[in-house]
Amino acid sequence: MTGLATTFGSGAMTNSINEIERAQAVLVTGSNTVKTHPQVARRILAAVDNGAKLIVVDPRRSPLAARAHVHLAVRPGTDIPLINGMMRVILDENLADDAFIEMRTENFFALRDMLYRLDLDEVAAVTGVPLGRMAQAARMYARAHNAVVCYCLGMTQHVCGTDNVQAIANLAMLTGNVEKECTGVDPLRGQNNVQGACDMGALPGVFPGYQAVADSAVRERFACAWQTDLPDAPGLTVTEMTHDGGVRGLVVFGENPLLSDPSLPTVERAFDGLDFLAVSDLFLTETARRADVVFPAASFAEKDGTFTNTERRVQRVRKAIDPIGQSRSDLEIVMALSRRLGYAMDYSSPAEVMEEIALLTPIYGGVYYDRLEGWGLQWPCPDRRHRGTQFLHKYSFARGRGRFIPVFHQPPSEVPDDSFPLVLMTGRRYHQYHTGTMSRKSPLFNRECRQAALEIHPDDAARHGVRDGDMVALSSRRGTIRIKARLTTAVKPGEVFASFHFAESPINRLTVAAGDPRAKCPEFKVCAVRVAPDDSGPKEKRPA
Amino acid sequence: MSFILQKDHLNSFARKLMKTARLVAPVRNRYGDTLLTEVDDPYAVAIDLDSQAQESAKPFLFPQLQTLFTYGKDDYLFSEVNEARPTVFLGLRSCDVAAILYMDVIFLKDRKDPYYKKRRENTVLISLGCNDPFENCFCLAAKSGPFLEFGFDLQLTDLGDRFYVETGRAKGDLIVDEWRQFFRPAGEEDDKARYQATLEARGRFKRQVLVDVAVRNLEAGLVPDTVWRRLSSRCQDCGGCAYICPTCTCYNLVDAAVPGGGGERRRVWDACTFAGFTMMAGGHNPVDMERERVKRRFQHKLLHDVRRHGRPSCVGCGRCVGMCFGGVDIVKFIEMATREEGI
Repeated sequence: MTGLATTFGSGAMTNSINEIERAQAVLVTGSNTVKTHPQVARRILAAVDNGAKLIVVDPRRSPLAARAHVHLAVRPGTDIPLINGMMRVILDENLADDAFIEMRTENFFALRDMLYRLDLDEVAAVTGVPLGRMAQAARMYARAHNAVVCYCLGMTQHVCGTDNVQAIANLAMLTGNVEKECTGVDPLRGQNNVQGACDMGALPGVFPGYQAVADSAVRERFACAWQTDLPDAPGLTVTEMTHDGGVRGLVVFGENPLLSDPSLPTVERAFDGLDFLAVSDLFLTETARRADVVFPAASFAEKDGTFTNTERRVQRVRKAIDPIGQSRSDLEIVMALSRRLGYAMDYSSPAEVMEEIALLTPIYGGVYYDRLEGWGLQWPCPDRRHRGTQFLHKYSFARGRGRFIPVFHQPPSEVPDDSFPLVLMTGRRYHQYHTGTMSRKSPLFNRECRQAALEIHPDDAARHGVRDGDMVALSSRRGTIRIKARLTTAVKPGEVFASFHFAESPINRLTVAAGDPRAKCPEFKVCAVRVAPDDSGPKEKRPA
Repeated sequence: MSFILQKDHLNSFARKLMKTARLVAPVRNRYGDTLLTEVDDPYAVAIDLDSQAQESAKPFLFPQLQTLFTYGKDDYLFSEVNEARPTVFLGLRSCDVAAILYMDVIFLKDRKDPYYKKRRENTVLISLGCNDPFENCFCLAAKSGPFLEFGFDLQLTDLGDRFYVETGRAKGDLIVDEWRQFFRPAGEEDDKARYQATLEARGRFKRQVLVDVAVRNLEAGLVPDTVWRRLSSRCQDCGGCAYICPTCTCYNLVDAAVPGGGGERRRVWDACTFAGFTMMAGGHNPVDMERERVKRRFQHKLLHDVRRHGRPSCVGCGRCVGMCFGGVDIVKFIEMATREEGI
């Protein structure tokens, strides 16, 4: 978000999902797209069927990487040198889009000077990617008339997450692959409505529509609508709330930080220090169990509203059944809570909330419920006559000119050493969703994927005396967990991978809390661990 | 015998049927989706006989999740849950009736499944032939439509202002007898019009799907491994094809705790494209999911069932074509498996 916003002026997928099908080259980085975004993967594969070149940057041989024309198996946390290296190749081979750079961008010379100082052999040594393959990928991407970059949390969940994104933006601008149909820079948003949550200002420094709280004119407009004074300082990010201490009361909506946040022992201490905790969720999660008050939230099928998906499309969700038991929609919970707190919110329906959003949020200015039948609207949609925006930055970037910002390699916050020799990457499995609050209630999903598995290369396994299917003790500087080992060559020697879905193997006991200084996104993708055979406890722990 | 039912009288006729049974018909809901829905008042809802219902009748006879019996916490007292309400399906398409006939073979022939049996015995099928097949339909090639020869209780054919009504099984005759006032015997003109409608329907298919050639090629071992591998690698493992398929009848049995102690045994839909379908307790899977994920599904439909029951169990409803977002539906498979034919 922060990276794209700085460079382009707007932090969202620049084109639409359907356009990917017609791209001539697709660069996928930091995304296990087939498993995590099947609907996007399907378009990528369709593009390949249509003759597009597929470049996948991924430390693991993911299903998509296995089908790529070029798979760049980088070392975790070395994306910036890789992209810088590709850009250098593009400059050297005269594949940059000079007209685009001239007309649409600024600060190119800073980038050029940085690239000319780059030592490509050093890049190859740092990233672990052979120079030839990197050059091949650079040529594929730069020679395509329309090239798309898709990236996901593999780029952003690093200490240099914002810089990673800026590097991608640099690459796209260098080759003129923005501002047109079937090109662009596409952050793939994970959940159905994470884009919507960001749009609505569920970020510490902005009001809905990415309007800064520091801007007094913006603040005045919202204060007028809400008839209350509004603070001018940004709030806290989640990691600040759960790691820095000092927070005394917390209301959690549909999150399970006691499983999903990094460096869990610290998170637990922060929760221990709370005077009051309220949690709104469908089920009694690890976090909800510690709450003073639990609000019974309604599921997607029991409420009306909208979701905004990864391509900025605002779509209706419609109530199919009445809330079961005493559960209530989020809107009802928020309104009831605010009434008790002495600020009576009174909305007769979600449509009325949307009217307020349209009034106060320029990018949603034309989004009203009566216009959302069918496939909905893609923001920016500034007024009621506007038909929505298929791809962003047509004719000019949201901020005027796209700004090249040279970025440099920054090593991960924790690198392997003699006592913790392996790099742990975390991610997701196809059949489970986040902390399993919902998906682990399904017997089918549990059958398909019933426990956590540590993907480890057979060479490493042999070195540490681990066999396929063994329970192992996985330790970092922050703790130890038990997890089942799965030997696979999909990970490289020296690297291991696990998912964070399972409370029995809470992988976030091990991860680091250090994060990107600007976006505050924790570095889930890299931490140093060691693995050892584990003989404690029962041989096999099955979920009940 | 054949009769004529005026279109204007359909809803009044439907209301009579509801005296002794619940009525299930394709209804267009307020979001524009046509679904098989229980009808309370035929004049209050939009019974939609012009579109294909998004789901077949499978969920009514073989629900996605069905409680079979419950048991106590400390004792071994099992109590069976097997209830079925008399149900009249109005406007089922030929393919969906053919699919029920297939389910009869699976659930009733050897297995004599009591849950299915009870529901099926309480079912009346009033089908509607297809004058104008839908976008993805290929029932003619699958030999399950567009009009049926048998299997229905009543079959309707749309003749513009009236329906041509054929009686099939005995229940159909009973209905016509009971509600005689709605029917008049079909005349020669009606017979001709009906014949013309069935003839023209055969020429209106938008897809050419060579089901018989695919069956022959599978039997002769002419489908190369690359076809399975290519399709399997594209399958996104969502199970949508099996869930939407009117003839996919695999299920899993699971136990679930119920609030207040005790538990219940449930039957839930399953799909052979899921890894857990064949995965063994130790984690070994005899099916290579990367290369063969969809192999069993298509072989079952087009090879094994032909050997076992004499006909493929794909009824050509085309629903999986619209459902599959990996592009590995059965039509795609048949196209790839028949490419050798040079067509």
